[in-house]
Amino acid sequence: MTRTRQPGISRRATLAVMGAGAVTIAAPWVVRAQTKTIKIGMPTILSGRVAQLGTSSRNAVLLEVEKVNAAGGLAGRQIEMVIRDSKGQPQEAARVARELVNTDGCEVLFDAEASSGSFAVHEVARDLGVLCIHTCSEASSLTADPKQHLPNAFRCVRQGIHDSIVGGSYAAAIAKAKGLKKWATCSPDYAYGRDTTGEFALYLKRFAPDVEIISESWPKLFQPDYTEVVTKILQAKPQALYTCLWGGDLTSYIDQANIYALFTQMELFAVNMADYTALTVVKNLPKGIHSGNRYIKTFPKTPENAAWGDAYRAKYNEYPTNWSWQNATAVMLLTEAAKKANSTDGKKVAEALRGLTIKCPFGADGTVTMRAEDNTLVGYAIGWGTTIPQEPYVPEVKAGDWKTIFELEAEWKKSKGYT
Amino acid sequence: MTELQAERASETLSTPRIETRSFRSRYLDVLIALIAFAVLAALPLFFGSKALLDFVIRCSAFGLFATSLNLLVGYTGMISFGHGMFFGLGAYGFGLLMQRTGVPIPVAFVATLAITAVFAAIIGAICVRLKEIYFAFVTLAFQMLIHSTILTWASLTGGDQGLRGGIPRPAFLGIDLANHVHLYITSCALLVLGLLLMRQIAQSPFGYTLRMIRDNARRTSFIGIDVWRAKLTIFVLAALFASTGGMVMALFVSGAYPEFAYWTISGEGIFINMLGGVTTFLGPTVGTVLLLVLNDTVTRFTEYHGIVLGVVILFFAIGLRKGLMDYVLEWYAQRRGGPGERG
Repeated sequence: MTRTRQPGISRRATLAVMGAGAVTIAAPWVVRAQTKTIKIGMPTILSGRVAQLGTSSRNAVLLEVEKVNAAGGLAGRQIEMVIRDSKGQPQEAARVARELVNTDGCEVLFDAEASSGSFAVHEVARDLGVLCIHTCSEASSLTADPKQHLPNAFRCVRQGIHDSIVGGSYAAAIAKAKGLKKWATCSPDYAYGRDTTGEFALYLKRFAPDVEIISESWPKLFQPDYTEVVTKILQAKPQALYTCLWGGDLTSYIDQANIYALFTQMELFAVNMADYTALTVVKNLPKGIHSGNRYIKTFPKTPENAAWGDAYRAKYNEYPTNWSWQNATAVMLLTEAAKKANSTDGKKVAEALRGLTIKCPFGADGTVTMRAEDNTLVGYAIGWGTTIPQEPYVPEVKAGDWKTIFELEAEWKKSKGYT
Repeated sequence: MTELQAERASETLSTPRIETRSFRSRYLDVLIALIAFAVLAALPLFFGSKALLDFVIRCSAFGLFATSLNLLVGYTGMISFGHGMFFGLGAYGFGLLMQRTGVPIPVAFVATLAITAVFAAIIGAICVRLKEIYFAFVTLAFQMLIHSTILTWASLTGGDQGLRGGIPRPAFLGIDLANHVHLYITSCALLVLGLLLMRQIAQSPFGYTLRMIRDNARRTSFIGIDVWRAKLTIFVLAALFASTGGMVMALFVSGAYPEFAYWTISGEGIFINMLGGVTTFLGPTVGTVLLLVLNDTVTRFTEYHGIVLGVVILFFAIGLRKGLMDYVLEWYAQRRGGPGERG
């Protein structure tokens, strides 16, 4: 005898679906009931062209959280990271951030988004009032513009304006020493590229007034072929070239320009070169490229920084990135703030974070500070040096002077109408 | 009796019946819309989950956008690859008006629709003359033009960082869009009203003209219909609904970003239509729910969502060879032993 199956949905399937529905709806309350652990939500970019940066952010956070949990947790509560992909889309970043807080019960947000995504998460922090630490966006206006200021949002990231001041003063010194008066620029054609190049040129001319920019090139973001840019620069015959191309764009550009022996004819200043993601990918890394530090385990030259870089490499079998140290610093700052506040309450921790100085392997003098006036990170190691084709890649880095940075940053803020 | 006489005779016989039917179906549509709105509006009373409300708000934005795209793709046979530009225009127009002029929300809403209509009329006047792949690519070109303008006109649009600082939402007529529940109810109202209006367009004589253009544009023009004008009209109307979707999204994220006007948004719209089906009116709405559920569920568990979505596309494209609603409708018709009614 054969059993015939009745058409339609069976009773068992209906019960299963209803059960699953009940679990889904009840999940947030179950989550909130488990108050022993504290959940930190982290929207970041885990897919697409810059996925490597998001993954390195996740790695760094997990490395630090492991240490904090082993030492007793955040004010006695174990940390559980909830890390989700935003695909680099602002609307998705906002959605994920809201979901992390509203559904998963996260009490803190680490916003590991780039550019527009970070502004979208900033609005979520404004709306929900949740403690938020931006860990990747370098756009200065995120914290410099008073309209953006939120008492519950902090930035634990290097800043475009700081890099430009240090880069400008370093490049001016080299220009004066070597008599480099004719400069060209070649940067990606979007807000970051244009702003950073503009600010670099501003400070370069300020420190070395006789410098002249004789050629500007603006290749598209993610452009595959740079031939016309390279030949344009060759024809202009500058003595030095500045670029803020980054990641895969920078490495392709250098590989393609090497064919024309471009770098034997001029000095190259590439702010984003000294990052392992770029250094280890270029096929023939020319000697003597001037670069700002992104993350390099030899700067600051301290045992703590070297140990951190080695521990990261040992665990993940790859080098950390610029995003890694920033995310690791966010965990360190949060832990110290919770200790100071003796609480994990968002408002109390935010109060403790404001103006907090902590010991940190990435600090210029072994410490970093969350500046109280604009909730932003200062005192981190920042400098420029020249590359060699093998490890340690940038053997000597000339550190930037934070006193000068503060003075010029204040001037810049005034010129922008921020103060 | 000549063919013409026969046609006239059949017209006299059938017209009153059709009119009564369409009259009745219009009332039925309004009734369904009211019930749908009542059910959606009652959701917050039964479920405290803010995530659910967020989900419905996003469904409203993408549902309006995808259904408006279906007016072009499914009803008129105009496959636009650049429909996302109107989504972006809506978000930016509304956001900029609210940030810079401080006008009340309804004024900004209407003004944004007016701006979108002007843009759509100009772009449409150039594009709708073209057919098939040429139309698709010229719409894509205009979309990239608008996207590039947003990126480069940084002093107005904020460039790649988008409109920052939040969109002010002053209360109007007792509605405070800064309140999550108010925003939710407003989004539902816009969704239901938008769908109802699009349904009326689709079921009107004009809607049937569009189907005729889709099936045979040359024959349509031979019977005296100005095909260019009809195509332009639906292009502008569809843009208005896409723009409304953009405004809902701008309110949800309290900002506008260049990604809203990027080609990937248009791609998502086409994907939603593929998922839900283009031969039924509610296909794109069902597709929106499917895509958002898929997206939200899969991204919770893995960053390899691309693979999962790819498999789903393959399943629909090669397995079902049609959207979900098309499949369901055909299956239902087969069970009843007759051909499925198509929109």
